[in-house]
Amino acid sequence: MPSGGMEDHSVDQKGEEKMSKKGYYGSFGGRFVAESLMNTLEELDLAFEEAKNDVGFIEEYKYYLKQYVGRETPLYYAKRFSEKHGTKIYLKREDLNHTGAHKINNVIGQILLAKRMGKKKVIAETGAGQHGVATATGAALFDMECTVFMGEEDMKRQALNVMRMELLGAKVISVRSGSNTLKDATNEAIRIWAKSAEDTFYVIGSAVGPYPYPKIVKEFQSVISREAKKQFLEEEGRMPDVVMACVGGGSNSIGMFAEFIDEKDVELIGVEAAGRGIETGEHAAAMAKGAAGVLHGMKSYLLQDENGNIKLAHSISAGLDYPGVGPEHAYLKDIERAKYVSVTDTEAMEALMELCRLEGIIPAIESAHAIAYAMKKAKTMTMEQSMIVCLSGRGDKDVHTIADYLAGKEYLN
Amino acid sequence: MNRIEETMERLKENGKKAVVTYITAGCPDLKETKERIRKTKEEADMIELGIPFSDPVADGPVFQDAFYNSILHGTTLKKVFHMMEEIRKEGVEIPVIFRIYYNTILHYGTEAFAGMCQTAGVDGLLVPDLPFEEQEELQTALLKDGKTILIQIVSRASQSRIAKILKDARGFVCCLSTGDEIQKDASLCEEDFSCLKEIREASAVPVFMEFETDIRKEDASIMELLDGAVFRCGE
Repeated sequence: MPSGGMEDHSVDQKGEEKMSKKGYYGSFGGRFVAESLMNTLEELDLAFEEAKNDVGFIEEYKYYLKQYVGRETPLYYAKRFSEKHGTKIYLKREDLNHTGAHKINNVIGQILLAKRMGKKKVIAETGAGQHGVATATGAALFDMECTVFMGEEDMKRQALNVMRMELLGAKVISVRSGSNTLKDATNEAIRIWAKSAEDTFYVIGSAVGPYPYPKIVKEFQSVISREAKKQFLEEEGRMPDVVMACVGGGSNSIGMFAEFIDEKDVELIGVEAAGRGIETGEHAAAMAKGAAGVLHGMKSYLLQDENGNIKLAHSISAGLDYPGVGPEHAYLKDIERAKYVSVTDTEAMEALMELCRLEGIIPAIESAHAIAYAMKKAKTMTMEQSMIVCLSGRGDKDVHTIADYLAGKEYLN
Repeated sequence: MNRIEETMERLKENGKKAVVTYITAGCPDLKETKERIRKTKEEADMIELGIPFSDPVADGPVFQDAFYNSILHGTTLKKVFHMMEEIRKEGVEIPVIFRIYYNTILHYGTEAFAGMCQTAGVDGLLVPDLPFEEQEELQTALLKDGKTILIQIVSRASQSRIAKILKDARGFVCCLSTGDEIQKDASLCEEDFSCLKEIREASAVPVFMEFETDIRKEDASIMELLDGAVFRCGE
């Protein structure tokens, strides 16, 4: 990891100071877990703070990011795409990471932390399978026993990723409760963790969950913006006007925003999935239509019904198909530091096609949501202005969904 | 004193242990739940009433399925409150403790919820995803009348936090065995045993434990260590 590193803690320390109460981002965050997990979270927080300040740990993390993950990733000026839309658009190429997405940045960090804490096993939840594959990869690399929880429905939709995880030596557990999707896989992972925390580390893939997880995920993903800021400065000699990323739980976006939060002139935009359209009720836009509530150990914006039960999210992208959002995003929205918008399945798919044809890049459907909004946003910008869009993952995993979509079939996700 | 505290006083005077029966509200429907509450006074001293929530992470799959079915049948917190009001009007005085997830409370509105608990005669709350450090908002709302008690939960994993949790505990304290699981049977591991003794010594209020089966039928010795037991014979 040539650019920057974790030695610069300024953002995080400022973040801590902003906390109204330990573990809170404004009124969001907290630790809403069973009593039996409270000490585990406390130990995790201590271990993480120690590790973050340990040069040896940081060096090892940087080594793996460079030699194994393949960082730094390029900040690519998408010339043809920019010319078509009338503003300079740079793509942060997280799709070029090992395993094909940004997820691995966080997994390497968390598994190194797990090792440091003396844990022998890791567990993870997964929806589309990307975080599961990244965790299985990290577990193979560091010789840890790995179990991944996945909804029965998702296992059918993402059979290829199930095979990849198994090939990497992970055990994939089919979750058959509730709606059989990511939300239920997360419930099950939390249950198992509560029973086995003594020797098991829970690798959370998104910027969600009880504190300190949102902080940990942000720290390990902020490599994205540390690199991008430096790369952009080298290229353009200034700050970008706009920084944009898609938001499901919010890990690539919080990583993309991190170094720009204190650059007040940079507009931060998070793009949620509007699914079939916000007005249809079939979407995953927790910020647009959610109410504050508690799920998976955190207080944040959630999609809920009139009785406070959690609603199912919908998106063509399995990675954005989550009914909540990370607590720091909820806070950034409330203080109006970041703006959250949404694009539909159709808009995302059109953007995906366009990027394929103009730039020879097949983005993940998740990332295509950010591309789609970049196209809209560009209309309000000039050729002298510029934006960075986080291309969080590659679209190879999505080819079946894309094929079904093009054939006019009801897609599975 | 509220109904839970009165019941514990009475049992103590008679040298008896408390028995709490668990019921999932609205399973199979609220009419049946009402009937079970009426009958329970013959076999138990208190009732723990599970309020269905879509994502009960602190409960196992059996309870999640029961919650799921209950929600599908239309059970809501409002309807449960209504049922409670009706049953209290009938003169049913058995203490009722809601086992409820925090999101259900937040969504109803913490102040309004605390007020309704008083109106509907809810004596205690067991909120499995609301640890001590996060209780301030709910406690503030409840203390306005003090008739509904937030039951504290401790576990072997609580360690140094036990004293803090027990400090202002009222009613009883609910002890979990290893991890988050409710105890399957009467066989406790050694660590759980010594932890239970520790909690018992440190606690000014009665100590209860949750079990999956009615352990009195297997081995009553563990009851010696407890002031009461919650039997959650899955449904």
